[in-house]
Amino acid sequence: MTRSHPLARLLLVATIAALAVVPLFLDPFGYALRILCLMLLFGALGQAWNIVGGLANQISLGHAAYFGIGAYSSTILFGSFGLTPILGAVVGAVLASIFALLLSIPTLRLKGHYFALATLAAGEMARIVANSWTSVTGGPVGISVPFRPEAGPWALQFETALPNYYLFFAAFLIVTLIFWRVKTSAFGYRLRAIKENEIAAEVVGVDTYRVKLQASVLSAALTAVLGTLYAQFQFFFDPDTIFGVATISVKMALIAILGGVGTIFGPWVGALVIIPLEELANSWLGNSLAGLSQFTYGVLLIVVILLNPRGLISLAETLRDRLSRRNGQ
Amino acid sequence: MQLLFTLLQTLLDGIMLGGVYAVLAVGLSLVFGVMHIVNFAHAEFMMIGMFIGWLCWHYLGLDPMLGAFVALVVTFFFGMLVQRFLIRPILGAPQVAQIFLTVGLLFALENAALMIMGAEFRSVTTPYQTQSVILFASGPERLLVGMDKLYAFLMALASGAAVWLFLNKTRFGTAMRATSQDPMAAKLMGVNTNLMYAVAFGLGVGVTAFGGSVVLPYITASPAIGTSFAVLMFTVVVLGGLGSVTGAIIGGIAVGLIQSFSALVLPIQLQNLALFAVFILTLALRPEGLVARRRS
Repeated sequence: MTRSHPLARLLLVATIAALAVVPLFLDPFGYALRILCLMLLFGALGQAWNIVGGLANQISLGHAAYFGIGAYSSTILFGSFGLTPILGAVVGAVLASIFALLLSIPTLRLKGHYFALATLAAGEMARIVANSWTSVTGGPVGISVPFRPEAGPWALQFETALPNYYLFFAAFLIVTLIFWRVKTSAFGYRLRAIKENEIAAEVVGVDTYRVKLQASVLSAALTAVLGTLYAQFQFFFDPDTIFGVATISVKMALIAILGGVGTIFGPWVGALVIIPLEELANSWLGNSLAGLSQFTYGVLLIVVILLNPRGLISLAETLRDRLSRRNGQ
Repeated sequence: MQLLFTLLQTLLDGIMLGGVYAVLAVGLSLVFGVMHIVNFAHAEFMMIGMFIGWLCWHYLGLDPMLGAFVALVVTFFFGMLVQRFLIRPILGAPQVAQIFLTVGLLFALENAALMIMGAEFRSVTTPYQTQSVILFASGPERLLVGMDKLYAFLMALASGAAVWLFLNKTRFGTAMRATSQDPMAAKLMGVNTNLMYAVAFGLGVGVTAFGGSVVLPYITASPAIGTSFAVLMFTVVVLGGLGSVTGAIIGGIAVGLIQSFSALVLPIQLQNLALFAVFILTLALRPEGLVARRRS
């Protein structure tokens, strides 16, 4: 938040405290805790996307590529060589960074729609490779994370969802902190200069290519680590979900945008709205009529954008401004 | 000799396929050219066209080549409504909003189709599906083209020509091109720009739906078909240059050729990989397209 309103600070502390305490009162095998876990994970994903998409306005629709690279790297290394997913996550982050570097060669000079299209195609390429490279990825049938409780915490596998929850909570806070550090640093100002006016940024001496590259690599590495966490949580995934346009790429971006693009709390609000809504839609409507939950998702997206193209946080700000004006009179 | 025939046959197949890709992409290009928005949901209108063509065939016994005209008319009016209520409000909005509105439309249309039509694959049977024309034969080697592909190609060509004539030879088309070049000036000259946008969008999605129905004899319809053609259509317009009709035709043929020739050397799963790689490289090297758009 730009203005550190005392009320906002109180709200922040209260939210973090609530997130730390609430799961203790929930059924450790229950559905509610799973939803909370996914909310934190996708909140962190939205935040990772926000580094490039929000600050520099490079609308990526291909972040699923990094997410899937993270998930596959740790799962394959753990399954075949027994390597702990903690190191697997590091390998995944390195591979995702390399992919981001390679992808940046043709795409980083692109803007707006063109960048979105190119990253969309890159994500789809990753999906095709995962589907057809059967000897390594297991192909379209998907891959399971072997369950080895005897390996202890090194396997990042837990009896209940509670340790997972705190792991995701930590990841969520760390990614948020990284985003906040980036946003308030000189690096963040350079990124925002690119968003406002790339040519002007270039003229005043910002090496725009380099700055965008650094942001992309950081965002890719974080996304890959979150991919590993997701794989360890779900125990099973297939190429079409882990590299999915709707399931990952668009959802990440949507979470960041819905709450208010480029803001620290945007992804918090986005994840808080999107994930429970989607889960509820899936559990209520999923069985009755195929496609209804995804249809609602699409309609929701349209309605949100038509109501306010700048996101829910700006909607809240407008409301607050109106309220405070009324109080002042 | 055999190799020569294989190459010629591949070339021919590529051109036949490319003509159809061209008509699918002309609509997308038209929408971008006039309104300067990239419609991520565009390929869904191909799916809608295919279903309209299938329904006409199934219930009315109409050949998909004729059903294509029904698809054109229905989606034209549907597209005008979509433009009026969904696209018009975001014409001046940030690109993020434009991208996500059309992505939302993509999900909504695909899943609406899933709810209405179900997940089954639907195909048509026509007498000419199994026939083919032998263009040239020498000994055991022959150069042939399937009648279904040939009909689709000719229909595609005709509709592409019709769009070109409309844009370049009619007063309405001139007004539309004026709107695309400078909406403010066009408005001052008395052009109803809102009408132009609505018609451009309706026509754009209509032509794509037309193309969808035309390919029905050899591509089965399903709710997910649009999404699987989306990147292909974008590749076509980006290769040809967003916003240009002739560009879309050249891009279409180019993509058709890339697909048919890559089929000779690559396994089937990897063909799209080649296409996507070409797509990203084109964006990077020539974002204005292989055929630069004619200015003024």
